[in-house]
Amino acid sequence: MAETTLPTRHTGVSGSTHKPLWRDAHRLTPYVFLILPVTLYSIWVIGPMFYSVWMSFTNSDGVTRQEFIGLDNYQRLFQDDIFWTSFFNNIKWLVSFITIPIVAGLGLALLLNNDLPGTRFFKAGFFSPMVVSSVVIGVIWSWMYQPFGLINEMLAALGRDGMPIGFLADPDLVTWSIIGAALWRQVGYVMLLYLAGLKNVDKTLVEASRVDGASSLRSFRDIVLPMLQPVTVIIVVISIIDALRSFDLVNIMTRGGPYNQSNVLAQMMYIEAFQNYNMGYGAAIAVVLALISIVFIFAYLRHMLKDEMEF
Amino acid sequence: MATTTAHLDTGEYRKKRNWRPIRIAFYYLFLVPLLLIWLIPIFMTFLTAVRSLDDITLNGPFSWPTSFELQNFSQAWTQGGLNRYMLNSFIITIPALVICLSLSSLAAFSLARFRFKGNLIIYFTFVGGSLLPFQILMLPVYRLANTLNLYDTYWALIIFHGAFQIGFCTFVLRNFMRTIPGEIFDAARIDGASEFRIYRQHVVPLSLPAIAALATLEFTWIFNDYLWALILVQRDELKPVTTGLASLQGEFIRAYNIQFAGTLIAVVPTVLLFVFLQRYFIQGLTMGSGK
Amino acid sequence: MSRSLSRIMQSNHTRRELARRGAAFGVSAPLLAGFAGISPAEALAQDGGTVQLASYNSDPAPRARMEGAVELYNESSDYTIELNTTEHEAFKLAIRTYLASDDPPDVLTWFAGNRMRFFSSAGLLMPLDDLYAANGWEEAYPKGILAVSKGRDGSYYFAPTSYYHWAIWYRPSMFEELGLEIPQNWEQFLGLVDALSEAGKIPIAIGTLAPWTAAAWFDYFNMRVNSPEFHISLCDGEVPYNSPEVKAAFEPWRELLDRKAFLPQPEAYSWQDAVTPFAQGDAGLYLMGRFIVDQFPDELEDDLDFFRFPTITEGVPVGEDAPTDGFFAAVEASNPEGANDVLAFLGSAETQQWFVEQGGSPAVHQDVPLDIYDDITRKGVEMLQQSDLIAQFYDRDTHPEMASHGMAAFIEFWNNPDELDRILDELDEVRQRVYESES
Repeated sequence: MAETTLPTRHTGVSGSTHKPLWRDAHRLTPYVFLILPVTLYSIWVIGPMFYSVWMSFTNSDGVTRQEFIGLDNYQRLFQDDIFWTSFFNNIKWLVSFITIPIVAGLGLALLLNNDLPGTRFFKAGFFSPMVVSSVVIGVIWSWMYQPFGLINEMLAALGRDGMPIGFLADPDLVTWSIIGAALWRQVGYVMLLYLAGLKNVDKTLVEASRVDGASSLRSFRDIVLPMLQPVTVIIVVISIIDALRSFDLVNIMTRGGPYNQSNVLAQMMYIEAFQNYNMGYGAAIAVVLALISIVFIFAYLRHMLKDEMEF
Repeated sequence: MATTTAHLDTGEYRKKRNWRPIRIAFYYLFLVPLLLIWLIPIFMTFLTAVRSLDDITLNGPFSWPTSFELQNFSQAWTQGGLNRYMLNSFIITIPALVICLSLSSLAAFSLARFRFKGNLIIYFTFVGGSLLPFQILMLPVYRLANTLNLYDTYWALIIFHGAFQIGFCTFVLRNFMRTIPGEIFDAARIDGASEFRIYRQHVVPLSLPAIAALATLEFTWIFNDYLWALILVQRDELKPVTTGLASLQGEFIRAYNIQFAGTLIAVVPTVLLFVFLQRYFIQGLTMGSGK
Repeated sequence: MSRSLSRIMQSNHTRRELARRGAAFGVSAPLLAGFAGISPAEALAQDGGTVQLASYNSDPAPRARMEGAVELYNESSDYTIELNTTEHEAFKLAIRTYLASDDPPDVLTWFAGNRMRFFSSAGLLMPLDDLYAANGWEEAYPKGILAVSKGRDGSYYFAPTSYYHWAIWYRPSMFEELGLEIPQNWEQFLGLVDALSEAGKIPIAIGTLAPWTAAAWFDYFNMRVNSPEFHISLCDGEVPYNSPEVKAAFEPWRELLDRKAFLPQPEAYSWQDAVTPFAQGDAGLYLMGRFIVDQFPDELEDDLDFFRFPTITEGVPVGEDAPTDGFFAAVEASNPEGANDVLAFLGSAETQQWFVEQGGSPAVHQDVPLDIYDDITRKGVEMLQQSDLIAQFYDRDTHPEMASHGMAAFIEFWNNPDELDRILDELDEVRQRVYESES
């Protein structure tokens, strides 16, 4: 029982008595606590997930038919141009989400990590896009991107000549334009998370290193950054999930257009399942999307598992 | 100590002391314009919300307004049915919160405190499930609600949100509970307390910061959910504020002004919650970081 | 089916009782009802029972009309309608979940044509042949509309109530100022476009954020170049998209694109956004449905008129897009008698006339007199009555999946007109896949 390294672990669960499990109240306790949550979760989350996987092997249209067709949906999916366009757009979203908000969010958090008057307003201001509904963000940014919208007008006022930039009309620009609107919203969120993380950075350590002659940059790199690592890991995972989940802005700003150039897997799944009545096909897209998420989940879980093992 | 104070008296430190006012000036000079530009879309929201629709159509959204209509807000409230929808949002969110937080704390307690077969698997299932894209759950959950006769009731949304958020909340609370020192449990056990007693009297009170933080986050997420409300509820009088706001948008006319006004009203509960609980929020969030 | 009906009624009954008792204790009936899964109207309903009406009329004016009609009905009938309005686009996505649930709404708003047939073929709709016979609707409704109210098996499944016309809208003041005339054929139309360009205007305004506005141009090109019957066969999947006739329909389109006749970057605008240049006098023409009048600024409405899409191929029958709206009933409705009663009410001349007087679209029932319409609307109705065939609009005439690929293809053509052949080949592959699985 001398488990001093695990102050919260209650051992003695394994083999302390010879009663069978269901008679041993002592060993049953953890399971008793888990009954309700695990049951509810299994019924409403885990079960449905498996059902979707099964549905992806059928030609279900949600209403009339549901026959097993094996891997046909997946075969069709990998030959579908729209799928590949959406997939690569998702990559663009992913890369954007795990780079820019982190750099910008961290920068803002470092800048605002003080008690100067008005800083509270700055924090709230940069965070405010998060509380506004996607519908509003989508509409207003669409207006800003229009040929005679705010951005093009500003560029013209600054002396730019020529045709207005087709932010939402040009197939090469459209995905990046939507990502821009999404990043505008995301930066404040990441900033807040970093602000929380910075609160836990031991100020005395930083000051000590400064007094010892280290430059601000050095102490940042060697002391602050490593202490921010746990928060960074969370932020990276959240960013990945948010990037893959995102479809509200795509849906509102371009519906995935023009002709599917800004489509993402989440939007594609939604249209296939709920507009084209291809439930089976939609389920296959959802499964692929989930698999991509799982790849990153496993990477994160492995990292966390390392932490567990270190205990 | 002598060396360090000598350090402090060098020109370097003095330079820093004189620097500060300039740095402060640059600080504001940089941030204020940045913030103003950053908030342009937010200004636009307010601006659009107080104009008339003809004004927007005729002059374009970025033009100087020729109208000022505060009644858009009251119109959103009554004609848009916002009073009803806001109430529904609360009716759905608060019970879902209670279910989610109570069950998650039970699960987190078990996972944090006991070592038993399946502990890690169950934990990772909760974590993994919370990261699933919702699309993979849409149709099966709809079918399930139908089969259980819960379709088109408050319960469908309450139970689903309560169940789904258990994943994330268990993740955070379990990590938080692991930081609770073991002496508390040893002392309580010596007193002969049952595990449930320990949970109720010690663990829950100590976990309040994390629970408060989660309550804030979850409130925002459940309150602002749109898609599940669309799929699980059909009747108007059950709709939460998100789908209710969407019905201000029609096939032919897009009443941007009223819709934006409604959005601004709908944002108020979330903002208030953040303001009042921000202390807990920041504190509780880092607890789940697995430190 | 009767067993499930009685089960539903039984549980409804007990749930209703609970709600009544709860209300007696002062607990809010809606709250309790929401938990019990019944509506407050149901909880306190009269003897005939409630009829659940699911509506997509979320725009303020149509919504007010719908609510007014419901009130009228409730005052004079044993049944009580309970109206549930969902945002228009969301309704289109959610309707399948509504109909496929165990307790679907009794009556629903919807469109005529193939979008309705998807549900009737799936056996989700109540046949209305008796209702038609009892109310004499076969004589009262225009032939073209009767055709699109039938399912594939020839029975009636849809109760049409209103329709509206599509046309090319223009500003009379602009035409007068520039000395322009209404074009009767394609050559004159091109001349009009050129004249507008020379005057510094954008000839045609359009917003293709939602691509159905581009589909409108396709509909008319196809109907004018080939024929309305050909267009319907194409929509039914019977004709290949890469056939020479279909390619010919894209030629006049190409001519417009080459002349840069359209508003630049239309994908960046919703159709409502594109009304702005039209209202400001920077653009001359707009192909749109009658509802553009509602979006148009009130003070300028006197300076708005329309003309029929010009002839392209001489001698071809005249087809017009006239999307028809109406109602149908779910076959698993829990109150079928009530549903029938409500449909009879909505399909009657009196009710349809009432809708028109409240500002609604033209009525389907031919007993509704023409003089109650304002000038613009009457002109539109007359135009439709003179046409040879009424189409429902591309995305209502064809299978939904075909429609979404088709509309994307139109936008792709818009951006890359030289790739037309490839685009049509790919589109035809979709057609084969979709319609092969349909049969």
